[in-house]
Amino acid sequence: MSPLLKLEDLNVSFATPRGDLRAVKNVNIELNQGESLGVVGESGSGKTVLSRATMGLLPSTATRTGKILYKGEDISQLPRDEVRQLWGTGMAMIFQDPMTALNPVRRIGTQLTESLTVRLGMNKKDAREKAIELMKRVRIPDPEGMLRKFPYQLSGGMRQRIMIAIAVSCSPEMLFADEPTTALDVTVQAQVLELLTELRKEFNMGMILVTHDLGVVAGHTDKIAVMYAGDVVEYAPTRQLFNNMKMPYTEALLKSIPRLETPTGTRLPVIEGRLPDPTKNEPGCSFANRCPYATDKCRTETPPLTDGGNQHFYRCWFPIGGGK
Amino acid sequence: MSDTAVAPTTESPAVAIKKVRKKRPIGFYIAASWIGLVLFLGLFGWILPTPKWDASFFDSLGVGPFSKGHILGTTQDGYDEFAGLVNGARISIFVSFIAVTVGGGIGSFIGITSAYFRGTYDKIVVTFFNILLSIPNLVLSLALLSVLAYSDENHPSSTNRRVVVLIISLIVVIIPILGRIGRGATLQWSSREFVLASKSMGTKDFMIIRKHVLPNVAPALLAIGFLAIGSVIIVEGSLAILGIGVPGGASWGSMLANGRGNLEFSPWEVYCPALCIAFTVISCNWFGDYVRTALDQREAKI
Repeated sequence: MSPLLKLEDLNVSFATPRGDLRAVKNVNIELNQGESLGVVGESGSGKTVLSRATMGLLPSTATRTGKILYKGEDISQLPRDEVRQLWGTGMAMIFQDPMTALNPVRRIGTQLTESLTVRLGMNKKDAREKAIELMKRVRIPDPEGMLRKFPYQLSGGMRQRIMIAIAVSCSPEMLFADEPTTALDVTVQAQVLELLTELRKEFNMGMILVTHDLGVVAGHTDKIAVMYAGDVVEYAPTRQLFNNMKMPYTEALLKSIPRLETPTGTRLPVIEGRLPDPTKNEPGCSFANRCPYATDKCRTETPPLTDGGNQHFYRCWFPIGGGK
Repeated sequence: MSDTAVAPTTESPAVAIKKVRKKRPIGFYIAASWIGLVLFLGLFGWILPTPKWDASFFDSLGVGPFSKGHILGTTQDGYDEFAGLVNGARISIFVSFIAVTVGGGIGSFIGITSAYFRGTYDKIVVTFFNILLSIPNLVLSLALLSVLAYSDENHPSSTNRRVVVLIISLIVVIIPILGRIGRGATLQWSSREFVLASKSMGTKDFMIIRKHVLPNVAPALLAIGFLAIGSVIIVEGSLAILGIGVPGGASWGSMLANGRGNLEFSPWEVYCPALCIAFTVISCNWFGDYVRTALDQREAKI
């Protein structure tokens, strides 16, 4: 059986006045039905662009090359109208900020039933019942009353639940969650993640969870792809990655998560420096100038994506714990 | 306003509504009642027991206001001033309403679609708007009227034809004004995430424009639409003074134009239509302003 989603050499670049900005470089990713993949990286590493490029939701200034195989069929060359047929019913997306992802002047009910009536051709009464059922599913109290409310009357967590309900309303097989918990406070984050995992198992969806928080992906994904400056720098099953991480960048990311055990007043470790200029294409490892282990070789030669066995791939000359 | 009434839970809805009403400025009531009066006169003025507006009363030429039978007096030619104003209200409403709805409709459709789809279409539209805006309104209307509705003693053109051409020239003036507003607001709203979210659910472009962009762009369009009604009335008046408005002293502008030679004998001939124009324009501006702030509230709350 072919995988649900397979990206082959996906490249995305934006035309800017300073030259081509390469946001995503040669990404290869595979995802099966019901599986969940975490895409981790700091701001500007290309996580969001990767998920939007896969769906085909990029602005017109972007160019995309490579193959996107959805159920074995390449959808990257399909005309827009045919791709649109997939949106909602095949692939759906949850956005980062539930404050801006709902239309402020329309009621929750109309926004929730919109895709039901437009995409699935339900009549108003059926759509309303389905909407109430969906809201019960994402644990929204008083779903009937919620239909009449406007987004400004809801809290952030409730809005994100509405967004999730909208995204799964047409039972997609593939769900992109673009930093679904970033705009929420910590107590709600866990609930929303729990809900997403639950829905994924229930509908047997494939899910790509984009986040900058390794802690978020740890318990909710099967595989993790760590991105840095548009490259996938480490790609491994979740357990494998946490037990045996190879890439200094992943290690640095994990170190910069605040911990309860550390005594008060301890400085939080940070990754010094900034991402390299994405419009320049310099040789060498893109992480070299921030890496504590970097040598001259790292600065002059670009490391290839190495297969470390056990489905563990990394892009480093001197992986932690040695090579294979 | 019922939505704002839902928010406070401790008060009953009626109290909340009252509170919102209190905030309305006095200018709103003055503007609304003047617009209401003009609308009433324009639509139902014919049921008032006024003298005929297009008949000359030879027995009372140029009588002052508050004289018997002529509440606002008559012109030097014996036309009843009040009847003229009532008829002028009808013409003004008709001309400005048609010009603003048709011109605004066309303009905002072009503006919204160009901002939504971008690309070459957008560039063409922006150039087109800029060209239209670079021609002075009056010159444009003058040119259109004198070409399409040329009239002299040998070739009289009918009143209807002149009114139609007048409306068309006003529509041409309105299109870029509302078009640019619609384009600007759409640029802002169509880049918001909820448009992308709706798109990602497979909604078609025109559906997104209708359901997500238009409701957000509408307040700006409505407010500018009211302002446009005001400026259309002024343009119509200016054209009348240049002698190419609605002929025969039928509109406020042409009453003004006909009366301005008699300013020293019967000043009310100028003051009455001039005040009507001024009040209507100011009321439209106030009303437009109020509509904008009232419709903005929901967004401000977020």
